[in-house]
Amino acid sequence: MMGRLSPNAKTASLASLMALAMTGLGFAAVPLYDLFCRVTGFGGTTQRYDPVAAAAEPQILSDTISVRFDANVSPNLPWKFYPEHPRDTVSVGARDMAIFIAENNSSQPVVGTASFNVTPTQAGQYFTKIQCFCFTQQRLEPGQQMRMPVLFFVDPKIKDDPDARDVQEITLSYTFHPSDPVDEGKKAS
Amino acid sequence: MTDIAATAPAHGHDHAHDHDHDTPGFFVRWFMSTNHKDIGTLYLIFAIVAGIVGGVISGMMRWELAEPGIQHLVGWAQFFDGAAGEVQAKHFWNVMITAHGLIMVFFMVMPAMIGGFGNWFVPLMIGAPDMAFPRMNNVSFWLTFVAFFMLVGSMFVPGGSGLGAGTGWTVYAPLSTSGSPGPAVDMAIFSLHLAGAASILGAINFITTIFNMRAPGMTLHKMPLFVWSVLVTAFLLLLALPVLAAAITMLLTDRNFGTTFYDAAGGGDPVLYQHLFWFFGHPEVYIMILPGFGIVSQIISTFSRKPVFGYLGMAYAMVAIGVVGFIVWAHHMFTVGMSVNLKMYFTAATMVIAVPTGIKIFSWIATMWGGSMSFKTPMVWSLGFIFMFTVGGVTGVVLANGGVDTNLHDTYYVVAHFHYVLSLGAVFSLFAGFYYWFPKMSGRMYSEFLGQLHFWIFFIGVNVLFFPQHFLGQQGMPRRYPDYAEAYAFWHLISSYGYVIMGVGVLIFFANILYSLVAGKRAADNPWGEGATTLEWTLSSPPPFHQFNELPRIA
Amino acid sequence: MKSLKTLVIAAALSLGAVGAGHAQAPATPAEAPVATAPANPAPAAADAATTAAAPAGDATYVPMKPTPGVGQPVDAGIDFQPQVSPVGEQAYWFNHVILLPVITIITLLVLGLLLWVVFRYRAKANPVPSKTTHNTFIEIIWTAIPVLILAVIAVPSIRLLAQQYEPPSKEALTIKVTGYQWYWGYAYPDQGIGEYVSKILPKDKAEAAGEPYHLAVDNRMVVPVGRQVKLIITGADVIHSFAVPAFWTKMDAVPGRANETTFTANKVGVYYGQCSELCGVDHGYMPIAVEVLPVDKWEAWVRSKGGNPAGVEAAPAAAAPAPAADAPAAAPAAAPAATTTEAAPAAAPAAAPATKN
Repeated sequence: MMGRLSPNAKTASLASLMALAMTGLGFAAVPLYDLFCRVTGFGGTTQRYDPVAAAAEPQILSDTISVRFDANVSPNLPWKFYPEHPRDTVSVGARDMAIFIAENNSSQPVVGTASFNVTPTQAGQYFTKIQCFCFTQQRLEPGQQMRMPVLFFVDPKIKDDPDARDVQEITLSYTFHPSDPVDEGKKAS
Repeated sequence: MTDIAATAPAHGHDHAHDHDHDTPGFFVRWFMSTNHKDIGTLYLIFAIVAGIVGGVISGMMRWELAEPGIQHLVGWAQFFDGAAGEVQAKHFWNVMITAHGLIMVFFMVMPAMIGGFGNWFVPLMIGAPDMAFPRMNNVSFWLTFVAFFMLVGSMFVPGGSGLGAGTGWTVYAPLSTSGSPGPAVDMAIFSLHLAGAASILGAINFITTIFNMRAPGMTLHKMPLFVWSVLVTAFLLLLALPVLAAAITMLLTDRNFGTTFYDAAGGGDPVLYQHLFWFFGHPEVYIMILPGFGIVSQIISTFSRKPVFGYLGMAYAMVAIGVVGFIVWAHHMFTVGMSVNLKMYFTAATMVIAVPTGIKIFSWIATMWGGSMSFKTPMVWSLGFIFMFTVGGVTGVVLANGGVDTNLHDTYYVVAHFHYVLSLGAVFSLFAGFYYWFPKMSGRMYSEFLGQLHFWIFFIGVNVLFFPQHFLGQQGMPRRYPDYAEAYAFWHLISSYGYVIMGVGVLIFFANILYSLVAGKRAADNPWGEGATTLEWTLSSPPPFHQFNELPRIA
Repeated sequence: MKSLKTLVIAAALSLGAVGAGHAQAPATPAEAPVATAPANPAPAAADAATTAAAPAGDATYVPMKPTPGVGQPVDAGIDFQPQVSPVGEQAYWFNHVILLPVITIITLLVLGLLLWVVFRYRAKANPVPSKTTHNTFIEIIWTAIPVLILAVIAVPSIRLLAQQYEPPSKEALTIKVTGYQWYWGYAYPDQGIGEYVSKILPKDKAEAAGEPYHLAVDNRMVVPVGRQVKLIITGADVIHSFAVPAFWTKMDAVPGRANETTFTANKVGVYYGQCSELCGVDHGYMPIAVEVLPVDKWEAWVRSKGGNPAGVEAAPAAAAPAPAADAPAAAPAAAPAATTTEAAPAAAPAAAPATKN
């Protein structure tokens, strides 16, 4: 088909195709970036435990690691949100449960979702969540307090990674955001 | 082998054909132009106007920054915004930094380099009668024109805390999404879309022209370096701008249609925007400087009466800079929170760029080495370019080190760095090109005295303006501040004095243009002598409306 | 470190008893912890501490005066601010011993070559230009030498990065930093100090306090000298950037995600920084001030804030008879109250600034 075009039209078409491909790549960056983060733990993205894919229960090492829990609430969400304990010490490979507590301070039911990551970023690919409130939306009735568990373990492979081996404390951070973007507090005043 | 010697085209053809095609009337000629030279002229005039707007804004910024405290912003904001208070005043500051950045990048440097000189001289230098797609060329210009008015217009509509978009030229989310209600940011983004579309069309046009319309004998490896530089730039535009378009389109949908590409609340990530922006943004800085490299190469060779030293190395150094430019973007985001390995990679990759850049600097010097140099205005600007670009380049090597950038990121050191490579690099090459080709474009000689005076005053001015900003940065002064601690006052004042000196230089430039257009001596076809070997000097000054109806043959 | 530990344990022991009373103190937690509230029971606690453990030091906290020329820019200064952290010293050395000489020499070399060709090859001096356009040897040289120079730069550069990224000790003092439009919030989760707000000090107050306007804040971040500090940084609304030039520290505060960085300040003093990412109207008016205190004074400050310098978890564990000391997962007595205070202002960031000043 290209054969019938004039040389100019041919070159221009090829160039346009390149531009289109790059536009596509620009948009494709969204899922690709997401995938990249999940695969490599980039930016402290945590891993999700897949009972089917997981060959065996992770081995529990004698090394311990400190896990710190950090809670944030978006200014648009009338919630109180905090970890039950600020930190915990766990054996590498062992399952542990942390409790986060959320309270709806407003007089209306509010739905929230949590974004999350861990620091230092190189620990992301070894921090595996088995169960987490952050996987789904949470709805709190007015004045309701909810205890929300996170079940996780630190993958023993962390000890084989020269970059992450020396990490002594991992911080697991959550930020709750309102789920319906009602009144996205245009707060600039 | 690589020097370009054109056999003189069969004489008589330039003027003879003017009578065949009547030059169109004023409206058709300038508003529906399909002539690459006319469009180039339009671009140059446009870039000068935009440069005045951007320059006045920077003058206002330096005026405000001359001493600590908010002195003039409230009054200016009032002028714009009727009833304005402190908040609108500070917002107006952010609008000014945004407008200055966007105008200088998208509406001054790019249109002048690529639209102006590219349009004018790429066809002439490769022996083509015009661009491959003359009508598309016209569309590009008017899109850029509309984009500019869109951007200026955005300064007069609500943008959150006051009129205009106050997001910085980088338009980072979430400041540009949830942080800036009102139509101003949408308008600014749309303006970028239009300017981007114009540049992509332009890039396609240049690539097609350069690949398909070279005169017989003009192989790729015989092309003048300016054409090479435009070719590489066109590819950078073609590959980088679509990514910006995608990134800011998602900004628009995040702002208006409830998507959450960059909003953590919906599973997005504001850092993704930065990655996309700088994937475009870093090639963008080479888009702004590469044509300058090309211009300087032509001028150095002309006024040394010597072919460019290491032509192939020069050409492929630009290709290398273009390629590497795509894999170093995250050095603009060293403090965003990235892993140590990534930071090491981006540090190392960034430093690699110093190698081809060094090759260019040394090749220019080697071109002059053994030459017979005359120091006409364009040559003086080019010499200034080489030195100032070196200064900007070496501070780039400092900033490339992720560990050092921790301190210097977003400080005035960075401001000084990129103004050295752009305001003293790109702009110097623009002035050099302007003086070099002015006789060809207008048919009149500029005033050599005013040109030299312009150079020296401008040179002193920009150095007084920008060199102290290194000190401010090292002392910790952050960017984009309307106000600062007392201790920074001294160097800020010096810097503002520098602006005034530079401003005087610019006035001399305008005086020179006016003088030359009115009373300048008639320019010969080749006013620069035997060193000027590229094809545009074989034509009359100014060239005929249509040139090369009979294609020149390149020996 | 050893003496610090003893100190911590001593303080913990002394506070064990107070812990219970302390725990119910922030019963009205929502707004309380933002200021050095005089109504706080801390002075009592501190008194108890002084009587029980001598080194706990004086109980009253008075904001320290900054030292001129340290931790802030100086008039017409051209150099980096004096560095007081090991990373800062290393980076400063790297810049001044390697980078600056290298770039100066390169710039002077280029300038020298330019001046030479201008002088030697001006048309008058050299009327007939040579036709040389190639010299493979010299082209290889000017490619290879920059590569070597860059390699030389790369080694200390990579080492500096590695040092900056050394994983912090779990004994590091952890401070939670939140960037808001347009102020900072600091919390000390382990000490039980809930988030308090740090805002720019108005011009008259700054001058009265003998501090530089634009840099001075009402409530500083206070850290002990010589102890590693780990910052967990996030943004509440838009991206901000936490920066203290004297520590060679800068980290973006990105909404919806936490970033981590560390510093160790080895010199007592007040160190200023400013927000370093454009965040809107008052971007230029949300400074940072870090006060580095001797350990005993820092502990006194923690108590004045209603916190426990030894750590809320450590306290009941050290005071052995605490009922729930059987497992680390069990709730230490003081913890719930303390964590409540921590989370409270985060939920009410709008309320918090309102209660200030």
